[in-house]
Amino acid sequence: MADTGENFAAFNSRALVEMVGGVTDEALKVTKIKQFLSVLAGRFFNWAGRKSLFTLHLGIKCCAIEMAAAATPRFDGDRFGVLFRSSPRQSDVLLVNGPVSKKFADKIVRLWEQMPEPKYCIAMGECAISGGPYFQSYNILEGVDTVIPVDVYIPGCPPRPEALIDGFGLLREKIIRIGGAPSSERESEKPLIVGDE
Amino acid sequence: MAQMWITMGPQHPMTHGLWTLRVKVDGETVVDTEAELGYIHRGVEKICESRDFTQVTPYCDRLCYVSAMTWANSYIYAAEDLLEADVPERAEYIRLISAELQRLASHLMWLGAFGPDIGNLTLMTWCMRDREMFLDLLQELGGSRMHYNYPRIGGVKRDIPVGFADRMIAKVKLFERRIEEYEMMLDESTIWLVRLQGVGYANAEEMVEAGVSGPNVRAAGVNYDVRWAHPYSVYDEVDWEPAVEKPTSVKGADCYDRYRVRMEEMRQSCRMVLDAIEKIPGGKNTNYANGDEMIYQKAPTRAPEGATGFSNYECTRGASQFYVKGGGDGRGKNPYRLSIRSPMFITIPFVAKTMIGYKVADIPAIMGSFDPCIGETDR
Amino acid sequence: MSNLGTTVTLSQNEAAANDCLAAINSRFSGSGVVASVERHSNAKKYAFVRITTPPQHWQALAKWLRFDLGVNYCSMVTGTHFPEGPQERGWEVAYHFLRQPITDQLPNTHTVYVAEKLDGRLIPMEFEVLIPLENNDTPTVPTVQHIWGGADWNEKETWDLVGIKFEGHKNMFRVLNPHDSPEGFHPLQKQHKIRYHDHNEMYDDAQGFGRKPADEGRIK
Repeated sequence: MADTGENFAAFNSRALVEMVGGVTDEALKVTKIKQFLSVLAGRFFNWAGRKSLFTLHLGIKCCAIEMAAAATPRFDGDRFGVLFRSSPRQSDVLLVNGPVSKKFADKIVRLWEQMPEPKYCIAMGECAISGGPYFQSYNILEGVDTVIPVDVYIPGCPPRPEALIDGFGLLREKIIRIGGAPSSERESEKPLIVGDE
Repeated sequence: MAQMWITMGPQHPMTHGLWTLRVKVDGETVVDTEAELGYIHRGVEKICESRDFTQVTPYCDRLCYVSAMTWANSYIYAAEDLLEADVPERAEYIRLISAELQRLASHLMWLGAFGPDIGNLTLMTWCMRDREMFLDLLQELGGSRMHYNYPRIGGVKRDIPVGFADRMIAKVKLFERRIEEYEMMLDESTIWLVRLQGVGYANAEEMVEAGVSGPNVRAAGVNYDVRWAHPYSVYDEVDWEPAVEKPTSVKGADCYDRYRVRMEEMRQSCRMVLDAIEKIPGGKNTNYANGDEMIYQKAPTRAPEGATGFSNYECTRGASQFYVKGGGDGRGKNPYRLSIRSPMFITIPFVAKTMIGYKVADIPAIMGSFDPCIGETDR
Repeated sequence: MSNLGTTVTLSQNEAAANDCLAAINSRFSGSGVVASVERHSNAKKYAFVRITTPPQHWQALAKWLRFDLGVNYCSMVTGTHFPEGPQERGWEVAYHFLRQPITDQLPNTHTVYVAEKLDGRLIPMEFEVLIPLENNDTPTVPTVQHIWGGADWNEKETWDLVGIKFEGHKNMFRVLNPHDSPEGFHPLQKQHKIRYHDHNEMYDDAQGFGRKPADEGRIK
């Protein structure tokens, strides 16, 4: 049993797991339990995901102060499950709250790529949507959606913390609709803009 | 022991803004540092060359976004120097009140971000709660919580609303008691004292030589404040004192001194605001219409080539200066060159050198105690 | 606070400015260095000292200002490009300094000034030094990085944005623009225009939403 490259002659558990897993999988498929379980699990994961949107602790410019204000006692984003995480590997939402400069462009793309699926991006404030007051600048990209696919746009300069919380609400509705579709398959979605109705 | 460079990269919960601090560590001790700025360089100086003088004010709000009113005022003084505009006295009083309320809000934001760096998460919630009081007052004046576009060349946009004086006095008096609550919580906390005292010494002469100013230098015992040295507005008619701390060591000011100087500045700002609202010409309960001569005097809109304007202003983080040259756009409607001096641009490389010799765990304390704001650094 | 006597008064300020002017003229007159006392038109209309110097005398003037006149704080360095200016003023570097009253700081003390009692070299004063350069492609100014620490990063920024070289400046690198900006790209020079600089239509439907602004078609 040692021909998988491991040089211990003990019981090779990996082959056992593969064998048992393969048998169980076939059994579940035949009895349609797998389909039922995956629908149930999908709904459950969707509920859990949208009720606990972990946002990356990224503060670019002024809108970051309003993002901080939205986490504080008066507006309290935490009651909606919005918690700030320091590492992109542990977060679901990339909240871009300022203009993206040429120096920061590939770093923000790297942060986006480090986040595991399903992940969402919210563009908060005018600078992230279209460059904002600096749209004519030689160093600022015209909107973060030139490099990252954005799900929700929150206009304002800066948007009030209530608008940010509303943006998270729109994102939750979107998650109910699209579930855990990876970000590369969401490009045909109509963009959601806070205050659009 | 091997040495290695660690990048505390642009996305970092502690750095209070988007910049990179590379530290070279030997075990736990910091041996060398390098600061890299420019991640939000917006080219404001270039953009403002295509804007009218009035259109530049919103850009100056967004320079240091935590203390927007002081930066807008700083630019307005430079534009008034260039365009030779006069300002009525009531407008100067209102500018003083708005700048000091903004200073309170900014120091509360600093404390609210500094506390969690040291580990005191309660401070974040308390300070932001109190900051909301001042943001409501500034919203009554300027219309928005953060970027007000409030001062105008020759005065202010609108007068203080009816009832503003009573609300402000009530809130400021409440806040004066809240400062005591903060000090009770922090000065009796062993963790706070141990983490801040003896950490991050910065010598007064070196700081002045390096171009650092503001509360960071006043923490080292140097009594220099632009508000009395190069006076502007009505600071010489209002009851206040500069907040200066006695440093306890010959090595200079440590983080605890810098924390204490900002608490004292908050007290002085409260005192200034309460005094100014009583002395305001025209009374504190009258409200003049927009454009009334009590609060606004129409200023020329063009400046010829060769005219320059310069303002020296005490922003929350140091002395900020604007240098404007007239004659842009052919007819003089735009500034030909707008140059912005940000106190933090000089302080951050200095702070990076201050950290050498301390432990990695002291980096947030030292960095936070100097109160960085990257918006003004990167213009 | 005016009754407590703790703000620098107009008369102190004028006296200090005139003292500095006299000192500069007695040391540098006749060498191309021109000094004058100007007045602000804002705030309290205080006076400051403006010095214009050709680049070759700049380091000598800087050393004298720092060590003999006590100007200890360099605040900003501004570079301006005048492509249509006269031949002798195609570029201009403006240094701004402050003289701050800093005396030896002993531990456990803080200086308490009664501002009205300050005199002589202790009165705070603003200085502006203008260095006009020739209208060519290689503007150069000698550096004062070793004289004031505050000039260090300010000179880096001026080179980065405007392109004025500082001769003798150690460790020059781009501080605000990205490190991989093209060689010779200095955005604040006048031949570089901002994006959409001649557009009247600000909205270009960049996001492709297919929506028109409410005031489309109106002549602005």
